[in-house]
Amino acid sequence: MHDPRLAIEIAGIRFNNPVLGASGTFGYGLDMAELIDLNRLGGFCTKGLSARPLAGNPPARIVETHGGMLNAIGLQNIGARAFVEEKLPLLRQYDTRIIANVFGYSDDDYIEAIEILNDGADIAAYELNISCPNVKEGGIVIGNSAAAAARLTEKARRAAARPLIVKLSPNVTDISELARAIRDAGADALSLINTVVGMSIDVNTRKPRLNYGTGGLSGPAIRPIAVRMVYEVARVVSLPVIGIGGIASAMDALEFIIAGATAVQIGTANYYDPRVTMKVIDGLSEYCEHHQVDSIFSLVSSLRKE
Amino acid sequence: MIDTIATVERNLEPAKGYRLLTLNFNEEFQILPGQFAMLRAHNGYEPLLRRALAVYKQDSPGQLSFLYQVLGRGTEMLSLLGSGAKVDALLPLGNHWPVEECPRAIVVAGGVGSASVLMLCEQLKRLRVDTQIFFGAANERSALGCGIADFLALDLPLSTTTDDGSFGEHGLVTSPLERHLDEDTRTAVVYTCGPWAMMKRVAEISRLREVKCFASLEAPMGCGFGVCVGCVVAVNTDEPSGYGSYKRVCTDGSVFPADLIRWEVAAMSH
Repeated sequence: MHDPRLAIEIAGIRFNNPVLGASGTFGYGLDMAELIDLNRLGGFCTKGLSARPLAGNPPARIVETHGGMLNAIGLQNIGARAFVEEKLPLLRQYDTRIIANVFGYSDDDYIEAIEILNDGADIAAYELNISCPNVKEGGIVIGNSAAAAARLTEKARRAAARPLIVKLSPNVTDISELARAIRDAGADALSLINTVVGMSIDVNTRKPRLNYGTGGLSGPAIRPIAVRMVYEVARVVSLPVIGIGGIASAMDALEFIIAGATAVQIGTANYYDPRVTMKVIDGLSEYCEHHQVDSIFSLVSSLRKE
Repeated sequence: MIDTIATVERNLEPAKGYRLLTLNFNEEFQILPGQFAMLRAHNGYEPLLRRALAVYKQDSPGQLSFLYQVLGRGTEMLSLLGSGAKVDALLPLGNHWPVEECPRAIVVAGGVGSASVLMLCEQLKRLRVDTQIFFGAANERSALGCGIADFLALDLPLSTTTDDGSFGEHGLVTSPLERHLDEDTRTAVVYTCGPWAMMKRVAEISRLREVKCFASLEAPMGCGFGVCVGCVVAVNTDEPSGYGSYKRVCTDGSVFPADLIRWEVAAMSH
C-alpha cells in the first residue's frame, strides 16, 4: 500500500512517505482517524504539549484573511502526561510516525515535558516548538535569539531519548544564522516555518480582531516566504529540513522538496480540505511516475539554476 | 462524519439578504436536530475556510437544506451558487439538542438562529411534547428570511416579535418569554439559538426562575471537527490551573447547558 519511491529517512527514522501533519492542525492524530487512513500518512506532529495542561487564550482566537488565516490559540493542550497515558495507547494501532511537539514557558518547562514524554513508547521524535508567536513567554522569545535557541537545544538534546527536530520561526532577521546555531547545539533536524506574526483590525470597533492582539499567519499566503526560507537554510546547513508553510497540493510539496526539504508538513489545509494529506501522497506518486523518479529523495535540493 | 461533494438542488432567496440552500448528497444521513455542516464551493480558492451552517431541514435521507444570512465573504460565495454547482461538505458535525426528560419545551429563536431549531421543533412535535415557540426578528423582511412561514406551518403555539413592530409584537423576543414563564410555572426546558446578547438574556431569565436552559452557540470555525481549537467559548471550570476554561463550539457543542457558559465573555460578535 506504500509507494516505495516515496520512502524517506530523517535522523535515522524511516517514514513511509514525506507527508506529515503539522502541529496544531492535526489534534493528537486520533481526531483525524475518522477522515483519513492514518496508516497511509508518513507521520504527524501532535498539538504542542507542555509539562502541564494549558488553558489557551480567550476568544476570538482565529480570523480568516486573504489566502490564509491568523490564529492566536495560545497552545491549549491536555499536557504531556495525559498524552502519554490517554492518547498514545490508542495511537499504537496505526502504522505512522508520531512526532511529539514540545512547548514550555522556560527551559526547565521544556525539559520537564520531554522527560514525561520519554516515558511514552512509540514516539518517533520530538519537535521543539521555539517559535509560537501566541504566548508571552517561552516559544518565540527563545526562537528569536540564536543564543537562547542554542542553549535550549543543547539542554533538550541531552534530555531527549529520541531524535530532536527544532521548529524555526520566520520572524527573525537571519534564519540561516539561527539554523547554524541550532545545528551546532546538536539538533538532529530542522522544521520550518512556523506562522508569520500578523494583525487584523476591525475598523468599526477599532479593536484587533483577535483577542490576543496579534496572531500567526498561515495558509497559502505564506508559502513563497516558507519556500525561500527552506532554500536559504538547506543551502547552509546539512541537517535534514522539513518544509512547512501553506502546502495544499503535491505541487506545493514538491516546491519545498526541490528547495531542500526532505519532508513536508501540511497544516492549515487540513482545516478546509481534511483529506489533503492523502491527496498530496497520491499526487507525489503521480509525479514520480510522470517524471520517472525512482526515489523522491533524489529531488531534495534539486533546484536548477538555469 | 464524512467529507463529500454535494450538488446544489436550488439556492432560494426567501427575503433579501437570506438564503435557503438545498443540497443533494450521494450518501444518506441521519441528522440530529442541532447538528451542522462545514460548506464551501468545490474547487474554490477564496475564501479558504469552509463555513459552519446548521442543518435547517432534512427533506429526505439524501437532501438537506441550510438557511443562512449573507454576512461575509463565505456566505456571499455560497449565495452565488446555482443549481448543479458542487459544494464541499463535511457533516454531520456537533452534538444535538437534548430532548430526553423534557416535560414541556420552550423554544426561543432569534434572527437566523431559527436555522438551528426548526428540526428541534419538528422533533418535539413528533414526540408530542407540549411546545411553545418564541420567534424574534429585526423586522418583517428578516422574519420571512429566517423562515417564519416554516415555523407557522408547524402548527405549534407560536409568538412572534420584531424589533420595529412590523410583524407580530413590537419589541424583543425575551419580553413574551418572561411573561410566559411568570404565568405558566410548570416544569419546562428552554432551548435557544440567536444573537449572543439575546441568548445571554434568555439564560439569565431561565436561571432566575430555575428553568433548565440549553443554548446552541456560534463561533468562527477553522475546521469544524475539533483540531484547530479556534472556535472556543469560555466556560465555568473548577480546575485550579484554569485548564478546561475553554470548550470547542464545534465538537464539545454547539449545544451547551446555558449555566456552563461564561456569558460575559462573548464568543461571537453579533
